[in-house]
Amino acid sequence: MKHPARWIGGMIIASCVIVAVAAPVLAPDDPYRSGIAMLDLSSRAHWFGTDDLGRDVLSRVIYGARASLAIGLGAALTATLIGVPIGLLAGTLRGRVDAALVALIDLFIALPGLVLALIITAMIGANLRNLVLTLGFVMWPAIARLVRGQALALRETLFVEAARATGGTRLSIIRRHIWPGVLPVVAAQFATSVSFAIFTSASLSFLGLGIPPPEADWGGMVRQGFDYLAINPLLSLAPGAGVSLTVLGFYLIGTTIK
Amino acid sequence: MTPGMQNMRMGMLGRRRALAALAGGVLVSNGARAQAPKRGGTLNVGLVNDAKTYDPIYSVQFTERHVLYLMFDTLVRYGTDFSIKPELAESWEISVDGKTIVFTLREGVAFQDGTPFDAAAVKWNIDQRLDPHVNSPQRALLAPIIASVDVLDPHRVAFTLTQPSPGLFSLLGERVGFMVSPTAWKARGKDFGDHPVGTGAFTLKEWTRGSQVVVERNPTYWQKGLPYLDRIVVHDLAGSVIGVQRLLTGEIDYVGELTPTDVLPIESRPSVKLSPIKVGRWYFLQWHVNTPPFDNAKLRQAVAGAIDRQRLNEITMRGQGSVSDGPTPDGLWWYDPAVKSLPYDPAKAKALLAEAGYPNGFSYDLSTPQVAVFQQINQLIQEQLAAVGIKVTLQPVAASEWYARVVAGSTNMTPTRWTQRADPDGLLYILFHSKGFANTMKYKNDRVDALLDQARATYDVAVRKQQYGEAQKLIVDDLPMVPLIFGAEYAALRSNIGGFEWIPDEIPRFRGLWKAAS
Repeated sequence: MKHPARWIGGMIIASCVIVAVAAPVLAPDDPYRSGIAMLDLSSRAHWFGTDDLGRDVLSRVIYGARASLAIGLGAALTATLIGVPIGLLAGTLRGRVDAALVALIDLFIALPGLVLALIITAMIGANLRNLVLTLGFVMWPAIARLVRGQALALRETLFVEAARATGGTRLSIIRRHIWPGVLPVVAAQFATSVSFAIFTSASLSFLGLGIPPPEADWGGMVRQGFDYLAINPLLSLAPGAGVSLTVLGFYLIGTTIK
Repeated sequence: MTPGMQNMRMGMLGRRRALAALAGGVLVSNGARAQAPKRGGTLNVGLVNDAKTYDPIYSVQFTERHVLYLMFDTLVRYGTDFSIKPELAESWEISVDGKTIVFTLREGVAFQDGTPFDAAAVKWNIDQRLDPHVNSPQRALLAPIIASVDVLDPHRVAFTLTQPSPGLFSLLGERVGFMVSPTAWKARGKDFGDHPVGTGAFTLKEWTRGSQVVVERNPTYWQKGLPYLDRIVVHDLAGSVIGVQRLLTGEIDYVGELTPTDVLPIESRPSVKLSPIKVGRWYFLQWHVNTPPFDNAKLRQAVAGAIDRQRLNEITMRGQGSVSDGPTPDGLWWYDPAVKSLPYDPAKAKALLAEAGYPNGFSYDLSTPQVAVFQQINQLIQEQLAAVGIKVTLQPVAASEWYARVVAGSTNMTPTRWTQRADPDGLLYILFHSKGFANTMKYKNDRVDALLDQARATYDVAVRKQQYGEAQKLIVDDLPMVPLIFGAEYAALRSNIGGFEWIPDEIPRFRGLWKAAS
């Protein structure tokens, strides 16, 4: 194996995806059905115990993989879709367009991601779609800056100059010569963005701006369990482990892409 | 019967009923060390504090009163059964027509700045609250009932009323009744809220917003031998759960507003004793009755019948609260057992929904303040309404913004909760009279208005009880809200703290407490 870390990361993500997709099969219980056995400890009926409304925690952790992956992948995709074109434009056009775009990128990078996400979610309201858009919007400048840097370097290379000299159009140069060189950077940043999005959405939940109840999502469950740490720590620890593992998985993949 | 006797009868009736309710409650106490009062020491209180000012004339926030009751005395005070007891007023007489009340004031009482407390001070205090330029939030309560306040002699003051007003006594036991030093208020102006001066057992030493409030024993307090404590420090808490941890380590001696779940980890700790509140907060689900879709009576009945209140109590209060059939819990004299809410009947609810014109159900947003118990109640309501075809989406809103939105009318369906007042007029009028300032349901029933108007204008408890009974029956039938539950709540104290008693307004009174060696 050339990249053991990448393999471990891949396996972690693969398991997460399987859990998310097969949640209805894997979950022993309905994650949304309340019960009058509240805050029970781990038992044969409820491996991770029950939450404050008597719902099965294991089932909720399993279903929670869906929301967390949706947020992570959705937000990273949004950020990529905004960030890559802007980065490519800035990097290949140079001049005044570049200066304006760089100013815009720097403006957003100067604001801390969590704070920006907090302000936007507080304004537009929290739900899955809004969270994906907000976190994507918060993360695009980092991608744009990386892509611009890479494009800048590539546009000065001999083969791009040669392409220009033989009459290649701007668009074809970007598509055939610059984009392939930028792609690995985008892939690496994509993976890191997924982990940042999951992590930040968990933080937002803790501040009361995550996905609204009764949706099972890991960030929200960590927050909800916080009030009952002294009674059943698994309420927070189990979904918390889900967040950590997924973030780790994407991080391992991201750092091994050259 | 003279009005004076009627007044006594009212007090006794209330007391007997409340005592009967009390017998059902149990004070869970693990230590018996705190029996004899002991002098000295510092009491550390943990409080999720939202105080904005300690000027009683401008006080609005609930938790401000926790500290106001230490620094200020009221004209009358509440007993543990909501009966009205003398405090700064030693006695009072009501005229035969019920429109004049003469208070005889306690002699030898001085404000903490040394100025005397007398009839002129009482007149000034009420006049300030009535003055439109002062713009006190209490003006709306007082202006309709008080015509004038007159000094008869230094220790007697006459309240002339526009109509007989039994609810006035209840008001004079809370914000309206806090007696402020006129001299200090005039000298401090807008800063009085940071430098409050009353006649209370404690004086303000330090208030660091977001951190703590420190009050110290008033050495010239009029009640001889009191207070026992030298100092009380009210520490700001981010949440009750954190308070429980700090209580266990002994950093604080008191933490309140604990749910039956919050107290699970400390139920059998010998270092801690639990004191359950006597009259639970009233939780209900409200909506705008004058606009679609909730202007449809059948629809309201369908929603009400689809909610299993017993299950709400079992899950959110661990069964320690009680089901609410109306605004008033058993144990208060204006409780009427004939007031009954619609029983839980999902099949009938479904039929009603079809009759209302929604055979396939409907979708609606339910405002969900970021308060644990509201989030729990809302998720259960969502689950129960889904069973009859009503799809509810929970709309999260910050706890600090939520009530402002309800008042502004931008929130329609929402759960809410209120504490009981010492007089039925206190809650029923403000919530359900079409002119009530807290009537955010836009509810208007002319018969209910008339009954609430009549009942607030007579001292005869038997007549009032009948009028409030009929009004509550009409209200519950009209469903401007769905009564849900009366909550269960606890205060937890270190077991060496003595003298703690609940008053049904859920505001802890710390001034009579003492601290034994632990």
